[in-house]
Amino acid sequence: MRRWITNQLDLPEDVMMDFPRITMVGQIHIYIENHKGLLSFSDKEIRILLSQGQLLIKGKAFVIKTILPEEILLEGKIEQVLFIPE
Amino acid sequence: MKNLWFHKLSGHLTVKIEGKGMERFINQLTRDKVQIWNVKRVEPNAVTFQMFIKDVPFLRQAVHYHQVKVRFIKKAGFPFYLKRLKKNAGFLLGAVIALFIVLLLSNMIWKIEIKGASPEVEYKITNQLKQLGVRKGGFQFFIDDPETIQRKLSNMNEDITWIGVELKGTTYHFQVVEKEQPEPQEKKGPQHLVAKKEAVIVDYFVEKGQPVISVHDFVKPGQLLVSGIIGKEDEPQYVSAKGEIFGKTWYDTEVEVQLHNQFELMTGNEVRRTAIKIGHLSIPIWGFKKVQYQNKQQEQDETAIKFLKWTLPIAIEKTTIREVEIHEKAYNEEEAKQLALSIAKKNVIESIPKDAKIVEEKVLHEKVENGKLKLLVTYDVIENIAKEEPIIPQEEPIIQN
Repeated sequence: MRRWITNQLDLPEDVMMDFPRITMVGQIHIYIENHKGLLSFSDKEIRILLSQGQLLIKGKAFVIKTILPEEILLEGKIEQVLFIPE
Repeated sequence: MKNLWFHKLSGHLTVKIEGKGMERFINQLTRDKVQIWNVKRVEPNAVTFQMFIKDVPFLRQAVHYHQVKVRFIKKAGFPFYLKRLKKNAGFLLGAVIALFIVLLLSNMIWKIEIKGASPEVEYKITNQLKQLGVRKGGFQFFIDDPETIQRKLSNMNEDITWIGVELKGTTYHFQVVEKEQPEPQEKKGPQHLVAKKEAVIVDYFVEKGQPVISVHDFVKPGQLLVSGIIGKEDEPQYVSAKGEIFGKTWYDTEVEVQLHNQFELMTGNEVRRTAIKIGHLSIPIWGFKKVQYQNKQQEQDETAIKFLKWTLPIAIEKTTIREVEIHEKAYNEEEAKQLALSIAKKNVIESIPKDAKIVEEKVLHEKVENGKLKLLVTYDVIENIAKEEPIIPQEEPIIQN
């Protein structure tokens, strides 16, 4: 139902569907909006809770540049971005 | 993300947390809307991050619910700088005061040296210098520059030929050359009187010696006027010829007068400005009044500030802007001629000896050209043309024979 409305009215999916919006700048930055919390964090791996499933990011030298209730800016060398379904 | 320099400016802390469940801890902080940044895992069970001081109560709350240890590693930001500054304020203040004192002392006068003057003159000059403000412990800002002091001193002292004023660091050096007072006239040896310049003899008065000219004679420079040899030809006597020979001489002057003359007159209105000049940049500190004069004259005076022996590129610049009115005056030829004649006369009076007298004024040539009146004037002047010339002693042995 919601998907149908979004499609019909041409609304942005991330807002309507409660999806995360992920922006990457090359390999060095990843910016995740609309996350639901931090699950685990180390300098090689970060796990973020989403509204559906989780996001797993692998790489090197991770530093969380900013963390806000709905946004995370991660810096480092990003090698993999994986969606893990529930 | 807010810009980072803002973070740097406001007080923030670097916090290290150790323990398990760091992620949940961070999540809680985030939920409390605490801004944290630069989250790094430094050890397997330790994380560092930075946060604002104002959010520390939230951190305490979070610590309450989680089994973590918190350590504050570094304090940074403007509030902490201020705190440190306050602690070191005394030191800073001392440094500023010391610098200021050195600056002040560098611009004082510490020594006045007067060379080449006799004790009386030296005493006199010292007193005059005091009047001018040049004294030990005085400030260099408030006194005139060396050239002006030199001029004033020269004007004050008639018995000084020349006075050199030099400012070396904090010492004023005065080099005095005293006028040599004319010594009492010594007894003169035998001498003739000869003509100084071309002239026609008008009158003469001889005290001693044998006049060899008469009135209306035309004499050339160096010509013998009064002989110092008197007596009979075979037994001459040598005397020091003395007397005054008045001759008519001529002085030519050429004067140019512009028929249209523009001249500036000060109205007495002026605006003074003071500025601090650093390099080429001048920062006004006094006198912001707008200058509304139509015609103006500007005078600038700069006093450099010294530090020890160096002159700093900082100077106090005083500017005086004076209002002037431009007046235009047009002369007709007659007026211009009168003016030219008075100028010519003034020129002549300046160039002739004090005891000379102008007897006649003749306009030789008069021409108006390019808006200028050119006038060639000759003045007949009566003056003493006698010059002393010693009789060369070579002649004496001949006579003794």
